[in-house]
Parts: sequence; structure tokens; C-alpha cells
Amino acid sequence: MADLSCDVAIVGAGISGAILARRLAAAGLDVVVLEAGEATGLTWEGYQANIRKFLAAPAKVPNSAWPNSPAAPSPNVLDIVALTPEGPPGTNGYFVQTGPIPFGSDYQRSRGGTTLHWYGHSIRMLPADFEMHTRYGVGVDWPIGYDDLLPWYEAAEWEIGVAADVADQERIGVRFSPGYVYPMHRVPPSFLDRWLGARLDGQPVTIGGTDYTTGVVPVPGGRNSMPNAAYDGGRGYVPVGAVGRPETGLRCEGNASCIPACPAQAKYSALKTLDAATRAGARILHQTVATKVGLAADGTVNGIDVLQWTGNTFPSAVAGTIRAERYVLAAHSVENAKLLLMSGAANSSDQVGRNLMDHPFLLNWALVDEPLGTFRGPGSTSGIETLRDGPYRAEHSSFRVDIDNWGFGILGSPITDVSDAVFGDGLHGRALRDRLTDVVPRQLMIGFLLEQLPDPENRVTLSPPGTWTDALGLPRPVIRYDIAAYTRAGAAAARACAEQWFDVLGAEDLTEYGSGRSPVMHQAFEWNGRPYATLGAGHLCGTHRMGRDPSTSVVDSEQRSWDHRNLFVTGAGSMPTIGTSNPTLTLAALSCRTAAAILEDLA
Amino acid sequence: MTEPATTALRTRRGHRRVPPITDLEALRGALQTALQLEHATIPPYLCALYSIRPGRNVEAAAVIESVVMEEMLHMVLVANVLNAIGAEPAIDRPDFVPRYPATLPHSDGRVIVRLQRFSPAAVDCFLRIERPEPVTAPPRAEGYHTIGQLYAAIELGLQVVSAQRQIFTGDRERQIAGNDRVYGMAGGPVLVDDLASALHALSIVVDQGEGIDHTIHDGDAPLGEPPMLAHYYRFDEIARERHYRPSDTPRTGPTGPPLPVEYDSVWPMRTDPRASELPPGSDVRGMTDSFNAVYTELLRQLHRGLNGEPDQLGTAVGSMWALRWQAEALLRVPLDSTGDTAGPTFEWAG
Repeated sequence: MADLSCDVAIVGAGISGAILARRLAAAGLDVVVLEAGEATGLTWEGYQANIRKFLAAPAKVPNSAWPNSPAAPSPNVLDIVALTPEGPPGTNGYFVQTGPIPFGSDYQRSRGGTTLHWYGHSIRMLPADFEMHTRYGVGVDWPIGYDDLLPWYEAAEWEIGVAADVADQERIGVRFSPGYVYPMHRVPPSFLDRWLGARLDGQPVTIGGTDYTTGVVPVPGGRNSMPNAAYDGGRGYVPVGAVGRPETGLRCEGNASCIPACPAQAKYSALKTLDAATRAGARILHQTVATKVGLAADGTVNGIDVLQWTGNTFPSAVAGTIRAERYVLAAHSVENAKLLLMSGAANSSDQVGRNLMDHPFLLNWALVDEPLGTFRGPGSTSGIETLRDGPYRAEHSSFRVDIDNWGFGILGSPITDVSDAVFGDGLHGRALRDRLTDVVPRQLMIGFLLEQLPDPENRVTLSPPGTWTDALGLPRPVIRYDIAAYTRAGAAAARACAEQWFDVLGAEDLTEYGSGRSPVMHQAFEWNGRPYATLGAGHLCGTHRMGRDPSTSVVDSEQRSWDHRNLFVTGAGSMPTIGTSNPTLTLAALSCRTAAAILEDLA
Repeated sequence: MTEPATTALRTRRGHRRVPPITDLEALRGALQTALQLEHATIPPYLCALYSIRPGRNVEAAAVIESVVMEEMLHMVLVANVLNAIGAEPAIDRPDFVPRYPATLPHSDGRVIVRLQRFSPAAVDCFLRIERPEPVTAPPRAEGYHTIGQLYAAIELGLQVVSAQRQIFTGDRERQIAGNDRVYGMAGGPVLVDDLASALHALSIVVDQGEGIDHTIHDGDAPLGEPPMLAHYYRFDEIARERHYRPSDTPRTGPTGPPLPVEYDSVWPMRTDPRASELPPGSDVRGMTDSFNAVYTELLRQLHRGLNGEPDQLGTAVGSMWALRWQAEALLRVPLDSTGDTAGPTFEWAG
């Protein structure tokens, strides 16, 4: 391919790269985005092809709907295998997993990135989440506080078009600018949300001998609901519809399959921001894998080497170099770390790839005695949000609790209910229908997102030369991962909360973490002699963390590399701690902030 | 009563006619006709849209859906004019609902509207509904042939009657304005509180249907966006299986790339179905009755939404989805050995 020059080169066309590209291109800069994966979802029809793929997929996991290219492979949760302490690494799929606990999350390498399959939860971090060391003596503090990020949260909520009500969030300690409203009204709480709210909201729940209040709270969603006429000083908000068919997707249609793939595109994806970025003049090069960040003698970056590939089964590639005034790596936590490690760049702190965090997801499930309206509406519209912060964070992780509208869907329902009834109990005809219509609507599942502290030994490294490579011959990420006592104790506290709530509801608790557990719960561990098992939440954070001290962090608070001042490394990898919210909104806010820093830098 | 100053009055299309509407009561009646007319087009469009099998006729389906979205906007715009002149849009009553096959309300009866599958006959019917007004056609509130004639009569009537007395006495709280409740259609609702805003609201309705100034475009496109085709020309693209280019005119017809249409990729819905023709107690009768109950509830919600309870419009959106799922279920029910399927009957179920 021909070499290219531009003002700003951005690696990765996910939400972070999309926001940066849009904002920088709109300011008149020449922006080139390098996307390793395919250009899916450029048109309405192209997007629908992914929906059909998802409908036909036998196992409906987050990446089932989306491309997986040998030249830019994505991790897939179906590739995860159980690991044994002295056994061989897990080498299925893309990741090489050395354990002791398998890393449980995936991401997506194609246009739109992991927002192609995200939940849409657009939740701000709590002020306390930025100050874990000061307040609780664990983890580290962020180099910026909540108030520094507040205006950028507002910018990110505009980019995503977040639907929420301020009063709901104020209830749990989120602060807003005076008079602020979200771009859209909240998505109406589901029947289940209201049912649970009537029974649990305000109930005391005991953690470590102290009573706390259970709060069932609607979750801010990156989902078109109805625009709030009071937004932006009364100017309102114009919802963004589907790419290539803008009159579609202007309202959530309640498809329970919106995770992983909203059929109407009412759920936000970075495809929308990329569309706007392109209109603003940004160029997006697909199937273009960054292979090396080139360094000049003075320590600045002087180019990004790429391989532009064609051919999905046996890809062939041509090499090229992109040169720019400023460089941004926005390729997602693991890919950013991989590229920096492959380049020997930005790592004087030795923190690149370290401190990998996720929210281990602890499911609890039960049957109640009345129908809950399962599989209606988006996968999750409310959570139990009042336990995200508390003095117990000095001892163990806190948690936010997802309330799922899709019954035991994560465990495979309703497909598993059908096979159990047919092959287990020999039911057919009317009896089978009666069983399914009786059981499936009564399924209640809640999932706890447990905090993990930064641990330098939870890390991404490169597969050694001559071992595991992808189809372009690039090393595959090697992941060493464990779940520490802080989080295991949090799992025990979470489980105790679930037991109390199920008791209040009179629900039949079916939760099983032991040998009979569902195969989707790959992360088995013990705490105080009891078994627990979690899944990954897809919240990969921490691999190039920001800080105040160049010797212990990779980037500064503007996500600028300490070592190479014309290089920015953006995304959830910059987060020093993972906090108690799903990280997308926070990384989007950080990206808005970095766009402003780059504009100021180039002014 | 003195003769109105007709020589000073012109429609936007240059009519200089004796206005057919000269008093407030007739004006309200004509606007109520317009409201019924806008609604009467929606069930036929929805039958065609929902009869298309999933994933087939993608472009044609997008065309029909986009027109339906704008017909809903037209109902809101006409209701705003009605509310502005102190009238009450009447939706929640049996005679609001056509009995298909139907003529357009108070028309000359030459356009017959049917509930039928997506087919050449359906597209032909849509073209007849949206046909542009010939330059020579007089404004008419009764016995009109094109929708443009009805709106021309209303335009003139608004000018005549508002010149006689203050007619914009309606409660502003009843107006649907802003983009927070009704959105996603080209244009958006217009707050009506005087003659100029009333004429503007109605011009959106006419332009989106038949185009501006005898071009193929509807005049809505924001600067820098490609112009939108008026409804007539959008349907003409389906009929001629070819896209218009922006530079095309009504005279050239469409000269752009092909628009593929497969009339056999549809559920073969029986034309103009009726609940009463289905066996009492049968599953399909139950589904049809249930559909009509939702449809009737939707009309009641729209009535309340356009009569001072705007939040009901949000509730109505849920009913619209329920209507769609139930219609699609009906379209999958074979009726007999002919292979015809059931379909939505759109009947008042009070």
C-alpha cells in the first residue's frame, strides 16, 4: 500500500477512536483511522447480514454476530477452557491463557469495535471510585477526580445519546452540573424492574454485620428512548438512527436480542460516530493492522507500520507506514498493550500490559412463583446500584448488580429449557408448551459485577517468537490472570446479599457454583471453603494505566505517553482502577478529554 | 353576508378560485376530513409492508415504512391545525375508521383503497392516493379527486375565515410541538397558532405527499443532504423498479439504478379481510379480534394524545408495536387450500 501522511493517525475504530476521529476531523484536522478488522455495518443491509448470522448461530455469545478474521482475530468466550495449575496453557482461539484462572472476557476487532455487542449501560463512575487508595487504602488513586471528568461525561453522554433520568443517579451519589438533564428520557423500567422494585427497594441488606439499603435503580442506557426537550438548555436532542437508514432505530423496539446485536440500531454503537467522523472528513482504512509504533532518535513516534490484508481464509498483506503529527492508540486494552510491547514503546515504567482488570460476574438465579415478563425489552434496564460504595471496600470488592430481563438467558435459556424438557423429561406437544410457558417467565437472574484491584501480575505479554501467531505471523496475547482474595471475599459478600434478597422474594434459589455448575462459568475459585464461579464481564481495563508518576504509570491524565510526547494511548486500558460502573462511558469521556488535549496541543 | 374578497386569494399553486370553504364550521369539517384521510391511508400501507417476507424487498419495504412514518406526522400536523382553531380532532369513534374497500372520505370516490398484500395492484393504489394535483384541478373540500385539491380548499378556507374573525383561539397546551414525542419523520411537528404557521403545517403535508412545485422532491432536505422524494415518486420508484436521480423530473421518470422488486416474496394475504368472515371460536378469529382490540385502543390513545394528553402518544407507540407483531402473526396463518393467508382487518372494536 502507499504510505500516508496526515495530522493525526488513530489505531482502532471502536468507540474511543471514533470519538477522537469525529472531534478532530470536525476541527479541521486530517485524520486517518487504522482498523485491523473488517468494515462491517457500513450500510443497513451490511449490518442486517450480521443479525442474520447471529440468528443462525447455534451458540449465541457476544461475538457470534460479528466477523472473526484470521488476520485480525478476536477472542471468543467459546474458546475458554478450564486450566490446571501445572497443566499446559489454553491455546484455543486467539488468547494464550496461562491461568491459574482463565480470563473470561472478549472484545471485537472490526469497525465499531466492542460497542457492536455491548450492553449499552452508560453509567458514570462514583466520585469514590477515583480515590480508592485515599478512601479505603486499597488500589491506587486516579490522577484526576470525578469533577475533572464531569464535563467530559456530559460530552460522552451526547456522543452516545444516553437515556436516563438525573434523579435516579443522584440517589446513588452521582453529581451533575446544575440543571443538567440527559439527552433522552430513561428507557421505561421493565415489568421485572417494577416487580423487583416493589419488593426489594428500600429493604435492608446485611454486609459484614452492617445493614445497608437495597436500591433498585434504572440504569442509564446508550439506547434511543424519547429525547428530552429540556436537554442543552431547552434545545433538545436529536436521536441518531441506524447507519444507512436514519429513520430506523430512533426508538428502542424492545428486542431482547439487542445484546449482542440490536436489530434496529436503536442501541448505540460506534458505527454511528464513525459515520459522523467520515462525514467530517476522517478517512478510515479497514483491514489495516498496526504492527509497530516507530520511534525516532529523539524519543518521539515517527510512524506506524501497518499490514493491509485481503482474503479472509488465507490472508495476504502488503506493508505500509502512516506518518502523522500526533498518534493515538485506541485499539482496546489488550491490543494497545500488545502493539506497545511489539514496538518496545512507552514502557519505561514496565507497566504496559500489567494490571489487567475485569469485573468477574457472579450470577445468582432463582425461580419465583409468578411470571416476570422475561425476554421482553432490552437485556437489562435496572440494577441494584446502592451497594457500589461502602466502608466494606477496605476489606473486599463492592458491586453493582445487573437485573436481567432475559431469565436464565446467560445460562442458555430458553434453549436449555427446551432440551431439558425434551431430552430430560420426554415432554412434547402441549405438555412441552405448558412447561416452557410455566417455567421460563418465572426465571429471575441477577449478576454481581465484582471489582478487581490492579495487580501487576495480572498481565498481557506476547507469545514468544516461534510459538503462537495469528495468520499475519503476529504474536498472540498471552494472558496470566487470577482472582485475588479481595474479589473472592467480595463474591462471598455478594452471594450473601443474593440469599437475603431471594429470601425476601420467597424465590427458589437454584444457584450452583460447584461441580454441577453451568459450563459458561469458567472462573471457579474458593473462598472460606465454599465454591464460587464467575464469568468475564467484557470490561478489560488497566493495561496502560494513567498516573501522576512516570515510573508507575504509562500515560498521564490526558492519556499521553510519558515516554513519547506525540503519542496518546486511549481507552479503558488507561483506567488505574476499574470502578463500579461498566467502563464504556468513562473511556468515552476520557476520549473526549483527550481529543480536546490534542486540539490544544496542535493549535 | 358580503362576498369574500376572492380575487386577493391564491393558493400556493396559484389558484384563483371561489373558495369552497367560507365559514369556521366548514373549515373544521374539512380538517376533520383531512385527519380521516391521512389515517385511512395507513392501514393499506401497513398491510403491504407487513406482508413482505422478512429480509425480502428490502428497498420497497423501506419506502413504504418511510411513507407511513410521514403519514403519522401528517395526522399530528392536521390535528395541530384543528386544535389551533379551537376544534377537537375526533379519532375515537367508529366512523373514523374506513370499511375497506373504501373510498377516500368525502372524495369523488374514484380512488378505491384496499387492504391487500404488496403487489402491483397495491402499488398502483398507492400512486393513485398520492397523485399530484394537476394545475387545473380546482380546490374542493367535497368530491375532490386528489388530496391536493382538499388541502388547497383548506388553505383558501383558512385565509377566508381568518380574515373574517380571529379563529386561532385554541389552547396552546394541546399543540404537539418540539421533537421529543413525534420524531423520526422528515420535518417534525409544527406549533400552529396563526395563519402562517397553519399554512406552513399543511404545506409540509402536501409537499411530502406530492412534491413541491411539480418536482419530484418534497423540499425537506437539510442543507448538504440529498433531497427526499415526495411519496408519489417514492412509490413510482417501486412501480417502475428503478430509482430516481436527483436531477430527474416527473417528465423524465426515474433514470437511476434498478430497484429490485419481488412480488412473490410476500405472505399472500387475502384482500380486504373481515373478522366476520372468520369462523367464530377459531384461533384465527381470536387473533383477528385481538388485533382489532389493540387497533381500537391505539385510536383511543391517539385521540387522547391529540386532545390535550400528549403523553398518550408515547403510550401509543407501544400499541403500534403490538399491532405490528399481531399483524405479522395473522399474515402467517393460511386460511384454506387457496394458500391465501389471514391479515389485519383494521376494524373498530368498540
